[in-house]
Amino acid sequence: MSQTKMKPRVAFFDFTGCEGDQLQIINLEEKLLKLVEIVDIVSFREATSAHSDDYQIAFVEGSISRDHDAERLEEIRSNADTLVALGSCATIGGINAVRNSQDFDTVQKRAYGDDADRIDSWEDAKPAAEVVEVEYEIPGCPIDKDEFLRVVTDLVQGREPSLPKYPVCLECKLNENTCAFLREDICLGPVTRGGCDAVCVSEGTRCWGCRGLIDNPNENAAFDVLEEHGLSVEEVTEFYNMYFGWQQTAEVEQ
Amino acid sequence: MKILAKYEFDELVNKWIAEDPREVVGATHDGTKFVFDDIDDAEELRLDYDLTMLSPKKYFFPQRERLVQYDTNENDYAMVQDWSEESRIIVGIHPYDLVAIEQLDDIFIDAQGDEPYRRKRENSVLIGVTMQSVSEHSFAASMGTARTETGYDLLVTELEDTYAIEIGSEKGSGLLEEAPTKEASLEEVEAVEEQKAAVESKFEKGIEFSPKQLPSLLKEGYDAVEVWDEYADGCLSCGTCNVVCPTCYCFNVDVVDYMTDEVGETRRRWDGCLLEEFAAVAGGENFREERVARHRHRLMRKGNYLYERFGDIACVGCGRCTKQCVADVADPSEIYNELWRSVNA
Amino acid sequence: MPEKIEATDHGPVHYEPEPATLVRREAFTDGDSVFAFELQERDTLGHLPGQFVQLFIPGVGEAPFSVSSSPTDEGPFELCIREVGKVTNAIHDLEVGDTVGIRGPFGEVCDIETFADNDVLFIAGGIGLAPLRSMINYVLAHRDWFDDVTVLYGCKEPAEMLYPAEVRQWEQSDIIDFRMTVDGVPEGQTWDGNVGVITTLIPGLNLDPENTYTVVCGPPVMFQFVQQELDEKEIPHEQIYLSLERRMHCGVGLCGHCQINDLYVCQDGPVFNYEVIKNRPEALS
Ligand SMILES: Cc1cc2nc3c(=O)[nH]c(=O)nc-3n(C[C@H](O)[C@H](O)[C@H](O)COP(=O)(O)OP(=O)(O)OC[C@H]3O[C@@H](n4cnc5c(N)ncnc54)[C@H](O)[C@@H]3O)c2cc1C
Ligand code: SF4
Ligand code: SF4
Ligand code: SF4
Ligand code: FES
Repeated sequence: MSQTKMKPRVAFFDFTGCEGDQLQIINLEEKLLKLVEIVDIVSFREATSAHSDDYQIAFVEGSISRDHDAERLEEIRSNADTLVALGSCATIGGINAVRNSQDFDTVQKRAYGDDADRIDSWEDAKPAAEVVEVEYEIPGCPIDKDEFLRVVTDLVQGREPSLPKYPVCLECKLNENTCAFLREDICLGPVTRGGCDAVCVSEGTRCWGCRGLIDNPNENAAFDVLEEHGLSVEEVTEFYNMYFGWQQTAEVEQ
Repeated sequence: MKILAKYEFDELVNKWIAEDPREVVGATHDGTKFVFDDIDDAEELRLDYDLTMLSPKKYFFPQRERLVQYDTNENDYAMVQDWSEESRIIVGIHPYDLVAIEQLDDIFIDAQGDEPYRRKRENSVLIGVTMQSVSEHSFAASMGTARTETGYDLLVTELEDTYAIEIGSEKGSGLLEEAPTKEASLEEVEAVEEQKAAVESKFEKGIEFSPKQLPSLLKEGYDAVEVWDEYADGCLSCGTCNVVCPTCYCFNVDVVDYMTDEVGETRRRWDGCLLEEFAAVAGGENFREERVARHRHRLMRKGNYLYERFGDIACVGCGRCTKQCVADVADPSEIYNELWRSVNA
Repeated sequence: MPEKIEATDHGPVHYEPEPATLVRREAFTDGDSVFAFELQERDTLGHLPGQFVQLFIPGVGEAPFSVSSSPTDEGPFELCIREVGKVTNAIHDLEVGDTVGIRGPFGEVCDIETFADNDVLFIAGGIGLAPLRSMINYVLAHRDWFDDVTVLYGCKEPAEMLYPAEVRQWEQSDIIDFRMTVDGVPEGQTWDGNVGVITTLIPGLNLDPENTYTVVCGPPVMFQFVQQELDEKEIPHEQIYLSLERRMHCGVGLCGHCQINDLYVCQDGPVFNYEVIKNRPEALS
């Protein structure tokens, strides 16, 4: 098969987020060695101080919440052939978007105390795709290492990366987990995009929805299930908006 | 029918664990639920369970399974079958799951010749157990699967201090050879029959008609949109009801590469017809795009389609889908009953 | 009655593809090319006209394709493939000499031999010509078994034509009545033939319904309209065959993806008798 043996140059950038996704990449351990066999990492703040603007693939992490972020992102966009959003914040606004549904002043006060007035933060924390064109997204908080590697390999081999369309429940069941709902807990697995191997439930907690909604969630049914398990409408909304806030707002606006 | 003291049975199981080349697995409790899993000691067995999370189907048709390994490096070019052939001694299978395995044997081995399944199945041993507890979700009795005379190598029924053991195959009798069994007395044979009969009355759920009528009911009820919609409206399309079912066997095949184009494998993974992309093809066409079409398909397949093909009703009434469906819209007994009423109204 | 060729029995299924070499490729349009493969370990594929194979590209995946060459053609077997996604893109990236994996041939087809002494009508829309071509060429190789042979072929626009060289031959042949149409002619393309959807070709045919066997293949929407026209012509439903496509992950009747109600496209089809398929609600919707 025809293959370009030139290694693509890749760069990592972070915006508003905890950089947990870059940590995941550092934690790839022996697979990190494989990764650098197939790509050249030219910029990666977590691991190296080297930096270059000459790259083909840019991975951006974190949500976009200030003018300055937007400018930086646009510059990255213009340098990169392919832009990949990494993690919940960059793909669906993530936890940073929770504040979108809350009163902005309170959020600012809570986050920055009395310095609130001096921060030029936007009202909304936005996913990267709201600001520039994004080719691919790798959701998750943090991202799934294997999924990240699969996307990189696909890009290097010239294949179209794709995300699973099934919800978290599928992998959860394949792993023979006890369903959260059967241990009097609640869960967003039925409406959240799978591909994480249901790690959170496997570890005994619940699915929080960090990979975003599946393409056609049956939201009414999901709400009913949560309410039947004792949540008030407000609680359901709050639980739902933790990660889905941005997707929810975007849907309403459409 | 043979009789073996309980402690002797435990010793026998422990002897298999120690000496038999096959792995010994059985019904056990993992701290939160009943599952089939490896056992290191007969004490871990819980033959009094009501319903396990998954059926022992997973031992012949695992959740994820490598099929082919490939290497496209010039000098080592290869695409070769590479599946596990591990066989097991499986202890404590309820009759409905034995029936389900018989159906899968017919399909995977006799009808379609699936080698990865056959190799694991052929040298495995199925040790059934007469049900002691019945899940509130199960309706096996009404499906005629709460007891079975076939499908096991050994079938164990718990009596007072002993187990009564029925032998279903040479494989089964071979395993008993060195055990200090004695022939069952007439009373013991009767006690076993009594237990089997008693189980049937413990079920809270059931279909209200003969399972023989299911294929024609479904044919007639295919267009009973109100009934299907009523359940599909609440369905999350999560695929849970498919993957927990002992008779579901749909799968996907994915390629998993080892971060290079050169070496990797194809892997099959349980799939579910309730999942949105199950019948979607390139170009945007989805042959079962509507939630209700997918929801109906599962129930049609269980009660009509597979019957038309292989002659068996493919719902054994275990109740796993009922129990695991968080939206509570998967219960075949409830849906079939409602369809029955609607069609006969 | 001509002798029937038998389907190859592959025995138990182990999912291992056979290596095959790409020996020739030719582009018909931007996205459609024909690929000729030679099995490395066997002389011939041993397929029946209408059957399909599963083609595996290491690292990418497997997908089903109808064999577009007739078993009567000497040499490598051909697949005509449209680029639509992962596997098909990767196939289009292949170079002559590359190795792929092949499983099959699979599928139940119509016994073309039973059409003997009758007229045969083929109706192909778009990429639907690929599976039909194996049957058309099979019929042409045994031309004296059959009475009139008619082929209708429709594609979106002149530039979308598959097998153009062969189409020219068919057009000029006097042993087959070949008629073609395009849905439209975009600016910059020239066309002096019929314009209009494929169904517009049917009313003009002079058919002997009781003695006509029809095989149809095309996009799902096409069937219903073609069927309406065939009903106008009163062709008995038992004499109509359709080649259908569904998602496939195994080709051997297990994975469940290809199911149309109780039927499996990979085993009961892909070529179905209309009488059998017409009362399966999922077939033609
Ligand atoms: C019996 C049969 C014969 C066919 N013959 C031809 C032919 O001669 N020429 C041709 O160009 N195409 C043919 N197709 C369609 C061809 O199989 C699809 O275009 C192809 O699977 C798309 O795969 P992809 O990876 O490129 O697309 P993607 O969208 O990336 O698909 C990913 C996977 O989805 C599945 N899938 C998606 N679409 C289809 C589909 N239509 N059919 C089956 N599986 C699908 C496959 O498993 C595929 O690997 C045929 C299909 C069937 C069922
Ligand atoms: S725990 Fe959550 S993800 Fe797992 S099956 Fe239950 S609802 Fe689905
Ligand atoms: S019926 Fe229940 S278990 Fe099945 S897909 Fe729908 S919600 Fe999930
Ligand atoms: S359909 Fe439900 S009740 Fe029937 S066998 Fe499957 S899981 Fe058990
Ligand atoms: S392709 Fe798997 S069942 Fe038909």
